[in-house]
Amino acid sequence: MKHHSRRVNSRVFPVVLSCTLFLLAGHLMGQQSSSESKGPQKFSASSIQIEAPDAGNVPLPPEFRIAVYENLILQIEKTGKFQHVYRSGDKDAVNAPDLVTLRTTARAFTEGSQKKREVTTVMGATSLTVNVRITDRAGQSIVDRDIKGKVVLMGENLGATYDFSKKVAKIIRDTF
Amino acid sequence: MMRMQNPRIDVSVATNYCRAGKPHIWVHGLFLAVLSASLMLSPVLAHGQAADAPPVAASDVLQAQVQLVVGGQSIRNNSKGTLSVVGNSLQLEADGKKVSVEASSILDISTDKDSRQDITGTAHLAAQAIPYGGSRVLSLFSHEIDILTVEFRDGNDAYHGAVFAMAKGKAAQFRKQLVALGAKTTAPLAGQDHK
Repeated sequence: MKHHSRRVNSRVFPVVLSCTLFLLAGHLMGQQSSSESKGPQKFSASSIQIEAPDAGNVPLPPEFRIAVYENLILQIEKTGKFQHVYRSGDKDAVNAPDLVTLRTTARAFTEGSQKKREVTTVMGATSLTVNVRITDRAGQSIVDRDIKGKVVLMGENLGATYDFSKKVAKIIRDTF
Repeated sequence: MMRMQNPRIDVSVATNYCRAGKPHIWVHGLFLAVLSASLMLSPVLAHGQAADAPPVAASDVLQAQVQLVVGGQSIRNNSKGTLSVVGNSLQLEADGKKVSVEASSILDISTDKDSRQDITGTAHLAAQAIPYGGSRVLSLFSHEIDILTVEFRDGNDAYHGAVFAMAKGKAAQFRKQLVALGAKTTAPLAGQDHK
């Protein structure tokens, strides 16, 4: 009898162990996926208004200020996260129910040179750092970050504004 | 009386000369007469055609080939087209579309300078294949351009901006003319085009 029970135990033990390990692994994976699905908090808004960029104390040339604004509008429209993307001053934005407002303030700007970039490959980078702040109707801040746009090797100086707006569009996708 | 008779004699002489067995000279003369008449009449015709065109003085129309860098609304960025001041408006025509902005709705207009590579597009990409950094040498070839930045509000009070790249020296002309038509500007006109 004793010998028989030992044989049964030796067969059952690996099965029980493997089942336990399997369940444990499943539990751990489940925990991991649930923590992943939580991610950053998502907000919902049907419309956004983009205010005209504020140059602040930075000597930002007008063409860069306008390129930041127009590229932002284009890229945010492309995200498809909002039914309406209103421009600064648009009268229709007053009636939008859950409007969020995006404000930009220049923090730093370095104008490089396309020729220097392409000839030396290490000098002449153009970069701009802009603070991006998205608030709801109550003025509660949803996003408040400094974003850097740059053109390091190929392309025109204004390409830095395109790089910046693409990064802001990614933040919009992650937030809304 | 003597003077009156002289033309008669001349005609007869001419007729006689034609009949004197040299018809090719007569044809040659006729051809020259027709040619000179057509040359004399052509400026008159051209003037007549110009008179039919709308009465716009050449000095009133400022026009330049530009590249729209950004902000053309229905016109795609980086499109090439014609920018002109027509009447009281700044008008861009590109990609078969027209966009115009009233000078009075312009909040600010400024000019700047930049440079563009002479070798661009596919040729620039192909140049990257040149060994020993040869493409870098080609990057040295560039030309200066003017940048014109226009900020304005539309009928719904929405704020817009547009940036144009154009041949050197043109942007200041546009700015001056638009300011004369009622566009606002923050930078002074005299000693403009900083940098």
